[in-house]
Order: sequence, then C-alpha cells, then structure tokens
Amino acid sequence: MVEEITGQSHRPVGPGRLALMLPVVLVLWGFVGVYLLQLAIDDTRRQGVQERLIEELAYFPSGRFLRQAAVEYQAVAADFVWLRAIQYYGHHLMTDRKYEWLGHVFEILTTLDERFIGAYHFGAMTLAWDASEPNQAVKMLVDGMKANPMAWQLPFDAGFICYMQLEDYEAASEFFRIASKLPDAWVVAERWAAVSMTKAGRADIARQMWLDIYHGTENRALRALVLRQLRHLKLEEGLARLQQAVDQFQEAKGRLPVSLGELVRAGFIEKIPEEPYGGRFFLDGGQVRTTTPPTRRE
Amino acid sequence: MAARVWALATNTFREAIRDKVLLTLLVFALLVMGSAKVIQPLALGEEAKVVQDMGLAAITLFCVLIAVLVGGRLVYKEVEKRTIYIVLAKPVRRWEFIVGKYVGLMLVLAASMAIMTVGLYLILFLTGVRPSAYLLVAVVMSLFELVVVTAVAILFSTFVTPIASAVFTFAIYFVGHLSRDLRMLAAMSPSPVVKVLSQFLYYVLPNLTNFNVRGEVVHNVLLNPQALILAALYALCYAATALLISVLVFSRKDF
Repeated sequence: MVEEITGQSHRPVGPGRLALMLPVVLVLWGFVGVYLLQLAIDDTRRQGVQERLIEELAYFPSGRFLRQAAVEYQAVAADFVWLRAIQYYGHHLMTDRKYEWLGHVFEILTTLDERFIGAYHFGAMTLAWDASEPNQAVKMLVDGMKANPMAWQLPFDAGFICYMQLEDYEAASEFFRIASKLPDAWVVAERWAAVSMTKAGRADIARQMWLDIYHGTENRALRALVLRQLRHLKLEEGLARLQQAVDQFQEAKGRLPVSLGELVRAGFIEKIPEEPYGGRFFLDGGQVRTTTPPTRRE
Repeated sequence: MAARVWALATNTFREAIRDKVLLTLLVFALLVMGSAKVIQPLALGEEAKVVQDMGLAAITLFCVLIAVLVGGRLVYKEVEKRTIYIVLAKPVRRWEFIVGKYVGLMLVLAASMAIMTVGLYLILFLTGVRPSAYLLVAVVMSLFELVVVTAVAILFSTFVTPIASAVFTFAIYFVGHLSRDLRMLAAMSPSPVVKVLSQFLYYVLPNLTNFNVRGEVVHNVLLNPQALILAALYALCYAATALLISVLVFSRKDF
C-alpha cells in the first residue's frame, strides 16, 4: 500500500552485522577478563587458600561453641567440618606433613556430632601416626566411648594405639577386652586382648594388627596410612634382624664383619633382607644403617 | 548519556526506599545484630568475635536479600505496570535504562550497608568491644560481592518473573560460595567430563569466595592488598559482562 503511494519499495533497515556482533564479542571478552582475573586471584591467594576455613575453625576455643551456634544443624555442620578436615589432612600429607590443627579440628567435629564413629576412627589413627599425638588420640576415643558405649570400634582403636605407639600393653589389653564384649565386635579383638599381654612389642603381631586394620576399612586414606606403616615396619625388622646377626658374629669371631655379605657367607643370616624403600643396608662401625634418608621414608 | 543514566538511577533509588521490603530487611538486619548481644553469655569468652562475626554476616546476608528481592523485580515491574513504555518513549536507550536501574540499586545497597555498618559499630560500642576500622575492609569487600550479585539479579530480572529471578540468583549465590569446594571435589573425580565441566563452571559462575574476608578481618589477619584489588577488578568485570548480557536480552524484547 505504502509502496503504491510512494512508488518506492520498502526494505527494512536492520542493524549491520558489526552492530550485531559487537555485543557478543564484548560478552566473550568479558568472560575472558573474568577468567584471567580469577587465575590471578588464585595465584595470589594460593598460599593458605585451602586452609582459610580450617584455620577459621582453629580460632574457636572448643567445639562446644560451634555446637550451640549450629542451632539444629549440628550434623550438617559436622559434615562440613569433616570435609574440611579431610582437605586439611590431604593438603598437609602432600606438603609439609605438619598437622598442627588436626586434633583441634577432630575435637570440634566429634563435639558437633558425638556419634560420628568414622570421624573418631579416622581422626584417632591420623592423630596417633601422622600428627604423632597418640595421647590426644586416646583421649578423643575415650570421650567417644562415653558418648557411644556400644561402639566396639572406639575401645578397639584405643587399644591398638596403646599397643603400637604408647607401648602400654596392659591398657591395650583392657581396651581390647572391652571392645570384644560389645555387639558386632571383630573376632580379632579377643585374640588381640590376649596377645597384648603375652607378646608385647613383637613385629609379627604388629604386622598382623596392621593387616587387620587394612582389611577392616574402606577408607582409602587410612589404607594408605597402613601401607606406610607396614613399609616402615619392614625396614625396622630388616635393621633389627641384621643388627642381631652382626652382634652374633662379633660374639662368635671376636671382631666386626667386614661387610653385611660376610654375615651371609659365614651363615649368620640366610640372606640380606630387602630394603623396602629401594635403598640398601650397610655396615657403619658395627651399626647397621640404610641409605634411605629419614625424609624419604613415607 | 550520563545524565540520563543518573536520572534513572536516582529515580530507582527513590522508588526502592519507598519499598516496604527494604525497610523490613533493614529492621531485621539491625535486630539480628542486636541479638548478638543476647548470645554473648554463650560465647565462652569469645564475645567480641561473635558480635563482629554476626554483625558482618548480617550486613552481607541482608544486603544480598535486598539485591535479590528488590533487584529481581526492578525490570519486570516496569514491564508489568507498562511504565516501560513511558520511559522508552523518551530519548532513553535501552542500555541506559538497564545501567540506570543497576546504579540505582547499587546506591540503595550502599546506603543500606552504611546504615547497617553504623548500627554494627553502635552495637559494638554498647557491648564494650573496641570497634576497629579494619572491619570496614570486610564491609567494602561485601559491597563488591553485591556488585556481582546485583548484576546477576538484574540479568534474571530481564527475562523471568521476580520469584524465578530470586530463586536463580540465590542458586548462583550459593554455588558461587561453594565453587572452590566443587572444584576440589571434581579434581578427585576420575571422569574427564566432570573435570572439564567443573573447571568451566568454576570460571564462568561468579566466584564469590573472592570477597569473603570476614574471618581474616575479625581475627586481624593481614590481608594481601593485591588480592583485594584483583577481587574488586573481578567484580567490576563480571558485573559489566552480566549487564551486557542483560542489555542484549532486553534489546531483543518487543515493547
């Protein structure tokens, strides 16, 4: 109609291709900017970023405050703390092997959720072996036993730590005995109660105990800890076995062996034990040592 | 151009302060801060920390609520009431309208934050805690967090209803605070698809943990100024991008 009157054909004039493309390009550039800035932020805050919240927890005097602050969501709060605790543990396991706040974090965690058996179990084992705080671990387990009198795992773990680390075989036997009397307890608890009193400090018993722990857990981190301990045990056994042979040689011949190979040739030992870290054992003035430095013994 | 944006911003500000939602949220925020004084006996010797923690958390949370609830309705309300036709009949470009609304809401949030911060300092004074000026760093970083959240709320406001906008913005807000955890969890995933997807989401969704320095500030931990500047730049860049998308969406609407 309009075309007939004006005699001109009407072609709608839309925005050019550039005008359409420009906003899209700008949006893409915006996201590129966001991406680059986030990379820079992550880089700047890399140190301590993973620990920020866990350190926040460290400022609390105890888990009691958090328990009140969490109102009716203690279990959820405990779950978050649990995730943080695992992150904290993993981070330090991979870096400096210092677990300054581990005990405190697990205290908070088990106060928030007193029935979190998995947290007691994992917390006690890592506290005892990784953080070298066996007394703190046993205390945490005893607190857990008060809140969970029917949980066999807690006295069992306490017995295990008393036997392996504190070398308090009487306490270990008592803890194992308590565990063995509880419902669904491992059958090994009763056996361990007995051997704790009769075979204190024996490596073969220790190895069996570690293997029982290994097969009794699904926790990968805990299994890795057991494997580390078994390796360490193998090294200690090798050193002890060779040292015993050296002492026997010296007593029999009145002199020190020239090398460890002489012990085999003289029949004092069947063969040189394998060094579990890939190093080798050697004789250093009557003392058997290994070429693996302590820092490499994971 | 700037005059038109400013006119729209001041108009939005005037409109928002008449909003009952804003007033209610402000009152609630001050009540929550005041309640920290009641909790004092339970704080087991950590009274100063609890009051400051709760005060700063209330400022952030209630300002986020204002951004989401007021921001989510800003554009939609104009379309619903047909007042958009009056505005756009004037020589106002659509991008000016969106930016004006955004600036107006940011003015509202800055004013609300100022009132709440004065309230917090007053409560700290009454509690017997010596207020530190260092707390203002946390407040300013919260304002930058709101720069991002408000832009996201405005973006949703251009194409969904206020309720949907509030839900989506809250979802983004929560995910934005969990992004680092999600990334860590995804790093443990054996699936390459999950890894790539999580990395993509980590960089595309707003990372709001960049702005949370409340813990450090309350404990007087020295903050890295470079990280703060980068976080501020990140907020401006993200907000500009979100607003650009809002303008694109809004430009395609037929009024």
